[in-house]
Amino acid sequence: MSDKHRVTRRQFLNYTLTGVGGFMAAGTLMPMLRFAFDPILKDEAGTEMVAVADVKDITTEPKRFDFKVKVKDAWYESEEPRSAWVYKNEKGEIIALSPICKHLGCTVDWNTDKEHPNQFFCPCHYGRYTKDGTNVPGTPPQAPLDRYEYKVKDGKLYLGKAKPRGEA
Amino acid sequence: MKWTAADVELYQKEKDYIDTALIPLIPITMDDGAKTAASGGEFVQLVAGELERQLKGRVFLFPPFSYFLSESRQSLVERLTDWTSLLMEQGMKYVFYVTCDREWKGKETAISDRLWLVPAVPLENMDESYKYELIRDQTSGLLRFFISQWS
Ligand code: FES
Repeated sequence: MSDKHRVTRRQFLNYTLTGVGGFMAAGTLMPMLRFAFDPILKDEAGTEMVAVADVKDITTEPKRFDFKVKVKDAWYESEEPRSAWVYKNEKGEIIALSPICKHLGCTVDWNTDKEHPNQFFCPCHYGRYTKDGTNVPGTPPQAPLDRYEYKVKDGKLYLGKAKPRGEA
Repeated sequence: MKWTAADVELYQKEKDYIDTALIPLIPITMDDGAKTAASGGEFVQLVAGELERQLKGRVFLFPPFSYFLSESRQSLVERLTDWTSLLMEQGMKYVFYVTCDREWKGKETAISDRLWLVPAVPLENMDESYKYELIRDQTSGLLRFFISQWS
């Protein structure tokens, strides 16, 4: 190996110091950026809530909003897509339903079964739910759709965890 | 369902409900076409994965059927037909394929009638949001294809 390629102690210190300096500068910038752009809120329990919609876009007709959440499994952290069916009920309250069918986990759609309008419909085994997420007896699902925990802040809707009805 | 221990366990319990298999057909080559083939394969896997997420209660996504482009088509058709019969014997009512390899379209109607061909797109130079749109778009096409075959 030639001398040129050997990193001297001085060079080494230089590298590391630039590294640390750069890192520190980034450290002061990051919190501001985070504050300005990060669409994530925390609820009381510290779970992250994600901004998924502008409240003004929510009507009495369920609309599907797609978003992403970070998930960690044994090996790595990744982003996974999620969706929610969101609408306002007669009382003006926001309802955010998980689209995951309680039978075997397919994704339900709103108002796609012509014979049963204004219901959530699961294309897999024809499970159905009324608008508030209650499973229709006689179809495969045995429980109502989960509801997302939500928060409204500065005109935006933030969603947290989806929980079985009664817990959310 | 995916090819994981947890999903297989659920499959064994709920066999009656999970009657549809999806097999990605992934071509491999190491010559000039390698990058295109790899990019096509990536796209196929993304679309198949997203479809599985949406229809997991009825669809079993299998590990890909992979092959070299230089293999004889006839033996590939035979092998895929074998896979298909095995799955049918095991209780699958529908077996579908998804691929980026247009060679599968055509002659063998037994295969091509149950095949979804994704378009060739250079995903690697694509803007994230556009890429996302494209995957969504292909997934919903494939989803409608499944639903029409089921009814
Ligand atoms: S997964 Fe929805 S009805 Fe079976």
